Amino acid sequence: MSRVLDLADEALRTAGGDDAEVLVHAERSGVARFAASIVHQPTLIENAVVRVRIARDGKVGWAATNRVDAEGLAEVARRAAEAADSAKPDPDFPGFSPPAAYAEVGGYDEETAALGAADQARLAAAAIEAAGNFGLYGIYTSGVTEIAVASSTGLAAEQETTDIVCLCLAADNEASGWSERTGWRAADVDPAEPAREAAETAARTRGGAELEPGAYRAVLEPVAVADLVRWFSYDSMGAQGYLEERSYFCGRIGEQPFDPKVSIADDALDSANLPRPFDFEGTPKQRVPMIEDGVIRGVVWDRTTAARALDGQSTTGHAPPDAWRFFGPLPMAFDMASGEAGSAEELAELVGDGIFVTRLHYLSVVD
Amino acid sequence: MKALAEAAVDAALGAGASYADARAVALRRQYVITKNGNVDDLSDTESDGMGVRVLVGGAWGFAGSGRLDDSAARDAALRAVEFARAAPGRHTKNLTSVEPRTGTYRTPLERDPFSVPLTEKIDLCLRAEAGMRQGDVKVTVAMIRAQREHKVLVSSEGTNVEHEIYECGGGIDAYASSDDVSQVRSYPSQHSGASAQGGWEYVEELGLDREAPRVGEQASALLRAPACPPGRTTIILSPEQAVMQVHESVGHPTELDRVYGTEAAYAGTSFLSADDLGSLRYGSEQMNITADSTTAGGLGTFAFDDEGVPAAREAIVEAGVLRGFLSSRETAAQLGAGRGGSMRADGWARMPLVRMTNLHLEPGEGSFEELLADVDGGLYLETNKSWSIDDKRLNFQFGTQVAWEIENGKLGRMLRDATYTGVTPVFWSKLDAVAGPEEWRLYGLTNCGKGQPGQEAHVSHGAAHARFRDVEVGVSA
Repeated sequence: MSRVLDLADEALRTAGGDDAEVLVHAERSGVARFAASIVHQPTLIENAVVRVRIARDGKVGWAATNRVDAEGLAEVARRAAEAADSAKPDPDFPGFSPPAAYAEVGGYDEETAALGAADQARLAAAAIEAAGNFGLYGIYTSGVTEIAVASSTGLAAEQETTDIVCLCLAADNEASGWSERTGWRAADVDPAEPAREAAETAARTRGGAELEPGAYRAVLEPVAVADLVRWFSYDSMGAQGYLEERSYFCGRIGEQPFDPKVSIADDALDSANLPRPFDFEGTPKQRVPMIEDGVIRGVVWDRTTAARALDGQSTTGHAPPDAWRFFGPLPMAFDMASGEAGSAEELAELVGDGIFVTRLHYLSVVD
Repeated sequence: MKALAEAAVDAALGAGASYADARAVALRRQYVITKNGNVDDLSDTESDGMGVRVLVGGAWGFAGSGRLDDSAARDAALRAVEFARAAPGRHTKNLTSVEPRTGTYRTPLERDPFSVPLTEKIDLCLRAEAGMRQGDVKVTVAMIRAQREHKVLVSSEGTNVEHEIYECGGGIDAYASSDDVSQVRSYPSQHSGASAQGGWEYVEELGLDREAPRVGEQASALLRAPACPPGRTTIILSPEQAVMQVHESVGHPTELDRVYGTEAAYAGTSFLSADDLGSLRYGSEQMNITADSTTAGGLGTFAFDDEGVPAAREAIVEAGVLRGFLSSRETAAQLGAGRGGSMRADGWARMPLVRMTNLHLEPGEGSFEELLADVDGGLYLETNKSWSIDDKRLNFQFGTQVAWEIENGKLGRMLRDATYTGVTPVFWSKLDAVAGPEEWRLYGLTNCGKGQPGQEAHVSHGAAHARFRDVEVGVSA
């Protein structure tokens, strides 16, 4: 049993005989943030948070702490119980997740976990060096995250993951270019690559003209497409927006409002992404096709929204982290199917005259 | 906590830092959220820890630990020094001088929000929700929040200050829908309601249950309201929308770290340059913007910022001319003007950044009705719904939850899906009137994002109704 699952188990015991669920989220990370090619905001973090949810007679409350000694665990259990006692019975509360078996998804790399401050600074320097004459702005970050869920149902889930992000903006007063890489194996993320890409893009933007407002044919780079899909998902691809009739998918499941080239799934089990075998309730993750060949297939669910649907719907393993609870279950591992074009240049040829969009800034849903 | 912070600073100096500061923080947050007549979320979180910031060879290092004990404090200091030493390249940092201060600050309050029973908070939320439930309203939400932050800052220059800051707030939302139209109406503002530094009395003054029937009725009525037509016209912004305009198009671009490019990779830069100070015309003569970290009830109110610089009230824009930036000791030294005073960190685990404190559009004169009376045809725009602005804070578009036609100086029919767009200094040049002090309102926002890793700042803005001529409205795809 791992350190975090031990801690979850201890917190569960501290909660006494209550129906309870404990989530432990531990983080050790370093961010080398650079601007104008100088590392200016390096941040190292070590923390572990214990969240206790208690249910009493259908009334649910939760509390969280990062004081993980016996006194801290007793206090967090007391406050969770107080919250539960103060609540009203929740007719949608489905109970805590039962024990389950989880897929082996990977996501942890020893070499990445071993990266320290000096390594993060060195890898940031490698990105800066690769940007050439452009000032480079961005981050190189790596970290280790441990998550464990235990509950009075007997559920015990744990995962240790590593992650790397190298994000690069190459810029001067008249040019800018953007590129980024994400992964869970340091060996897969060469910081020089996004830095060089960003610099190459920046070089092409020099002398760029102002674009008049209007309608254009466009090719979007993957990061721009991902941003659009992510913003669309907030209301439309989660069960809460669907049940509250804010989702574009309402009344359209089975219809084909999108081009047949569009297929989007959520697949946290894919080890090519940052894989996760279970959600923040400990429910196994499922691959969920949301749009297939332009046809709307469905949204993602957690246990609460599935119970609220009253039609036999099951959770798909998309319970959100605490900070996102208000939004309900959301897809967080998009997989948009690729098409037939072999390159961005090939797409540009299909467009003819138009614009090439590398990224979008500050998206917002107007209505 | 003070002894631990002192130990961390000593450890950093012993390891070779030329400067060090340590913040020990104990934070507690409580949320009560009800939705559709049920308790949706009842949470109580705490986060204790220490952040240590050091200068070694002119390079910054920062490390945070989620444990408040002696070994964790010293370990964080050593890790911060290690990271600073590892930073590639040559570094130089000059900081404006600050007189070492000792002192304490505690939010003035009548009733500790954590002493109010959860059941009382739940009942208030449920009453407010019931008041909104009418017509085509499909979803109702009510929220109340409370926060207490106990913070000690110790620096190697002799600063040793302590804050105990209380916040609370709340808000309600009604969502109505029919066929393909979905509308929301909120009070006192969207985006997590409104908050203030203070006690439970602030939530009581909001009168969430008192305002609920109007909110529900307007959400329902919006479904049948015509969409705002496109065109150029005079607009009057409600105080709540005016503060969003100040936040996005004045607050962020005047953050000096953006001006110097250090936020370029995330939050963006600024259309302003350091040379614009004292000369750039930001807006009309009616535009007066003040940064005031002493405002009673402001979420950006303190005795000292997270670098130990004392709170102050300072002009940012005076009669339309740029007079100041929001700054840190480092950026103020780089500029050669100012003293810092806007450095704030989101909890113990983040490095302080240049943030807004309380940034206000100063009042003009006259009532809202007097502003209306001078408009033959136009729009009154209330309550922010969406916002978007480019990475230099120049081109923007805002949407509001509701618009009201103005005809011959009087409010007319309701319109939905209102948007307006502009270019920051051009837009502010069209400001021709701000209502007087009696119309001025303070709003606290808790979701201002910046930095990598991300940080959320709690800031306040005050504004009265503001009138702008010849503005482009109703633009849609």
